[in-house]
Amino acid sequence: MNLKDTTESLRDSWREFAKVKSGLFGLAILGAFLLLGIFGVYLVPFPGATEHWRDINFWQDNPQAAPPAWTNLFAARKGVSSTVLANPKAGTENQDNGVAVRTFSFDYDFGADEPPRDIIVRLTGDGPVPVIITVDRPDSLSAEIYRAQLDLSPLSPARVSLVRNSAQAIVEFVRSQDPELATNMSADLIKPFGILFSKLGKEVATAPTALKGKYRIVVTALQLSSDFKVNTPSLIVSGHVSGILGTDSSKRDIFTGIVIGIRWALIIGILTSVVSVIAGVLLGIIAAYFGGAVDWMLTRLYELIYLLPVLPFLIVVSAIFKPSIWTFITLVCLFFWTGSYKTVYSMALQIKEETFVEASKALGSGSWRIVFRHISPILLPYSFASMALSIPAIIVYEASVSLLGLGDASIVSWGQILESALSQGAVINNLWWWVIPPGLMIALMGMSFAFLGTALDKILHPKLKTR
Amino acid sequence: MSSPETKGPGEGPGRGEVILELRALHKNFLMHRGRTVIKAVDGLSFQLRRGEILGLVGESGCGKTTTGKLVMKLIEPTSGSIIVNGDDATRLRGAQAIAYRRRVQMVFQDPYASMNPHFKIRDVLEEPLLIHRIGATKLERTAMISEVMRRVKMVPVEDYMDRHPHMLSGGQRQRIATARTLILRPEIIVADEPVSMIDLSTRAEILHLMKAIQRDMSLSFIYITHDISTARFFTDRIAVMYLGRIVELGSQDEVIDHPIHPYTRALIEAVCEPVSGRVGLMRELPIKGEVPSAASIPAGCRFHPRCPYAKSECWELPEPELEDSGAGHLHACRRWREI
Amino acid sequence: MMMSETKNPGYKQPLLKVRDLRLHYFTSKGEVLALDGVSFDLMAGETLGLVGESGCGKTTMGLALLNMPSPPGRIVSGSITIDGKEIVGMGDRELRREVRWAKVSMVFQGAMNCLTPVYTVRKLMLETWQEHASGKHPDPKAVEELMLRYTRRVGLPDHVLGRYPHELSGGMKQRVVIAMALFLEPRLIIMDEPTTALDVIVQAQILNLIKELRRDLGLSYLFITHDLATEAEVADRIMVMYAGKMAELGTNEQIFGSRGPRHPYTQKLLASTPLLRKKVSELAFIPGSPPDLISPPPACRFEPRCAFAKAKCGRLEPPVVEIESGHQVACWKAMEDSEYELS
Repeated sequence: MNLKDTTESLRDSWREFAKVKSGLFGLAILGAFLLLGIFGVYLVPFPGATEHWRDINFWQDNPQAAPPAWTNLFAARKGVSSTVLANPKAGTENQDNGVAVRTFSFDYDFGADEPPRDIIVRLTGDGPVPVIITVDRPDSLSAEIYRAQLDLSPLSPARVSLVRNSAQAIVEFVRSQDPELATNMSADLIKPFGILFSKLGKEVATAPTALKGKYRIVVTALQLSSDFKVNTPSLIVSGHVSGILGTDSSKRDIFTGIVIGIRWALIIGILTSVVSVIAGVLLGIIAAYFGGAVDWMLTRLYELIYLLPVLPFLIVVSAIFKPSIWTFITLVCLFFWTGSYKTVYSMALQIKEETFVEASKALGSGSWRIVFRHISPILLPYSFASMALSIPAIIVYEASVSLLGLGDASIVSWGQILESALSQGAVINNLWWWVIPPGLMIALMGMSFAFLGTALDKILHPKLKTR
Repeated sequence: MSSPETKGPGEGPGRGEVILELRALHKNFLMHRGRTVIKAVDGLSFQLRRGEILGLVGESGCGKTTTGKLVMKLIEPTSGSIIVNGDDATRLRGAQAIAYRRRVQMVFQDPYASMNPHFKIRDVLEEPLLIHRIGATKLERTAMISEVMRRVKMVPVEDYMDRHPHMLSGGQRQRIATARTLILRPEIIVADEPVSMIDLSTRAEILHLMKAIQRDMSLSFIYITHDISTARFFTDRIAVMYLGRIVELGSQDEVIDHPIHPYTRALIEAVCEPVSGRVGLMRELPIKGEVPSAASIPAGCRFHPRCPYAKSECWELPEPELEDSGAGHLHACRRWREI
Repeated sequence: MMMSETKNPGYKQPLLKVRDLRLHYFTSKGEVLALDGVSFDLMAGETLGLVGESGCGKTTMGLALLNMPSPPGRIVSGSITIDGKEIVGMGDRELRREVRWAKVSMVFQGAMNCLTPVYTVRKLMLETWQEHASGKHPDPKAVEELMLRYTRRVGLPDHVLGRYPHELSGGMKQRVVIAMALFLEPRLIIMDEPTTALDVIVQAQILNLIKELRRDLGLSYLFITHDLATEAEVADRIMVMYAGKMAELGTNEQIFGSRGPRHPYTQKLLASTPLLRKKVSELAFIPGSPPDLISPPPACRFEPRCAFAKAKCGRLEPPVVEIESGHQVACWKAMEDSEYELS
């Protein structure tokens, strides 16, 4: 009925809102958060992370506790950035005996000072397949570093860590080039990739110099019969630095964690504040309007809850029950309605005495009509501001509860990322990329809502006064 | 008390019968946790006839607004009864209370405050229809709203329908407030200082409009005011109130041209008029001081402490009741023949 | 604009001279021309009434005379001289010490309901003292003496000084407010609707007090109200304002006498004032409402509501003309009428 009216007043409010710069800033950040919260899950490097955050196997190809890739810019010796090599040049050669030789060659541009930590081959297919992996180096030497028969299955890929399985082959490679160099080499003692990615020379084993340039890694698989199959493999170069925000000690990509955490931060913050503010506003109006016993009871309830310390209470409850985000949201709602109750109560007491309320009563309005048609709409602006202002606190509470290890294990939240960082000694080990980003995000989201809230407050308050 | 026997001036077919009667109405307010009793209305009785405008005149604190709210049933009387069309309407519940609102309506003093600032004129006028479930469709209701807006001369209707109250002048708002009561087709309208907050230049316009509507619809009006000058213009009969009680009641000409009660005389004496040659003169004021608090109403005649004619009988004997001095001119003064 | 010096035989010299005063409010919607070229004199010992509907610039005028327009208002041009001293452009500090309450004080509209509830009357008066007059009478005993003198003067018992506002009746509060305006002994008091919120009988009492104070202390008043009947009671001369401009200025006799006012606006305003002692069946009213002062009518501002408006009224702004001794009108019709009468 009042749609046009509402849009009109919203447009008015927007004009006023646009004047407050901090509010616009907050809105911009919030907008970015919302977009990331909705679409971020599809944009992150590890799209399945929401379900697999706590799955060790999911993350096993990442380097452990690797700093962000961009730290290379400031490092004296560049490390290898973790990358996935996909889409190789594929070739198939059918032999007369029914054997198909399939080759997949990956180009890898190596420009770091340190060799990769590992190169992992993931291969799916069907049946026993002999696999040979050779590396063509920029100095046009070629090394066969792996040869084995793999039992492939179509669903779970065979995973070959080359650094672990290539030592002997690399010693052989050195020997074939320069037998003298290989005299003292033992497969157990060398760093295989240190040799593979270095110039061959006297100090290749002790102080190798990186051989920068284009490498080609060729995976050759033999399909021994048409029953057997080999799918296109992927190579994962595991380096020293990884992704936008590095990894944690469980090899999880922190950037992915932060982005998928936005969704939960928003859900928790907005849902809780909306529910608790609506409850607070309605209860406040009801207590003020009906007065008497209703007022007495609600106000005593308010006082009781207001007196309870929220955080200890949350901690105790989370410790007793199975930590679940829904329990958390319910509990926080139970506490947070008190935030708007008292203000609304006093405002409603005032509005209740306005002549237009009396006039409406004289027309025959029932109490609910007055509550919902006359008093509530006037408090709507206040409610919005109050919601925006309570969100930061709720996000921090969630983080605090998670930080104490009482978070819901089925979700990813910033608080939980922080908690694992702390419990695994991120600070002591100087893994700053694990601690600062989630902390910053909590602050940023809190700030965006706080800016928004204060801007709304600034706009709406004079209106309340001049009403 | 004796019931007034005046004949309403606007007498005609269907007119003249008593539509509303207040019998010994009392309203006490408890203050300071019940330690102080404020007798806002203290034994008020009068009759309102169909098609009549009765002015309730008095200073602030005399209980005239409380009387309006009692009639409107916004507050409950402490004792006494309100009779509408012969039926006791003192205490009503549920559907009866709602039905009562269709018969008795109110125009409030402050046209700025009596409408929800968030409502448009359409919403303001639609509210009574929604409450009383009049008009099945939106279209039907809009037609009724348009009709009543034309009646209060808010034309063209479309221009005003979608405005907010704050976009209208005081006079226009008071017309909308009147329309809001008319849309329910009431029999009685209580108008509490309807023009006191409107500019002088448009005040008369509103009063004319109200009077025209009152005549057309044969409404009964209770016109509550502190301004005896507009009461003379607007009303048929005037009741002068002092400390919660009527001290004089009669046709407006009688009360103003031949006041009996010393309080009425003082009230009339104090009114300024736009005539020249008064600047050098001091106004002779027959009474002194201000209205005492309704928490401590003097014994005997309640006006005696301020009355220049008071003698021992005025405070020793019980309070005088209203008596008829002839032609339905009632007063509550024991010494009226002497003064 | 034509302006003729008022020569009124009864009063010696003007205490207050206002010349072409313009005060605009700079709002987000535009410039509100609240006072748009108003000129008048106020003689020593005189009561000048200022009448008009709400929004015509009455209160703005009162505040302008203290040079404290309420924001976002600003005096744009013109001059105000009080006792020969120009106050437009004077610094705030000087204004507070030399002008406000020392020379001119004001009884604000509704001030009786805005007395700080936690202060006693004594404290309230002391506040006024500290704000405006720390140069004079530094002795606290003398101040107390003065406060007592003026509370008695306005007809209040001594003990009122120790009372809180809520303990006083409306009439007493208004007396306190008047005492507060008086006790720094200004020569001019601006009264903004001093009796509007009061009941008739109390109103009459306060009017009597105002007259008495003037007689005894030789005060001058600028008496602002919307009610012509009150002006008839107290004002020697009456200035009628409409939409930020002066419409008519004349003596009490010229406005309320048998000949009646000349400006159609004043005439209508007078006709719409209900009379108690005379029974009328029809009261006059002015159709429409006052103009928006952001974009007022280009010529005569009353023209859209005027029953006598001619083509000329919409084209040319009528000048302020003295049509008889001490009677100024800004109206083409009134000018023509008086010329006709003379010839």
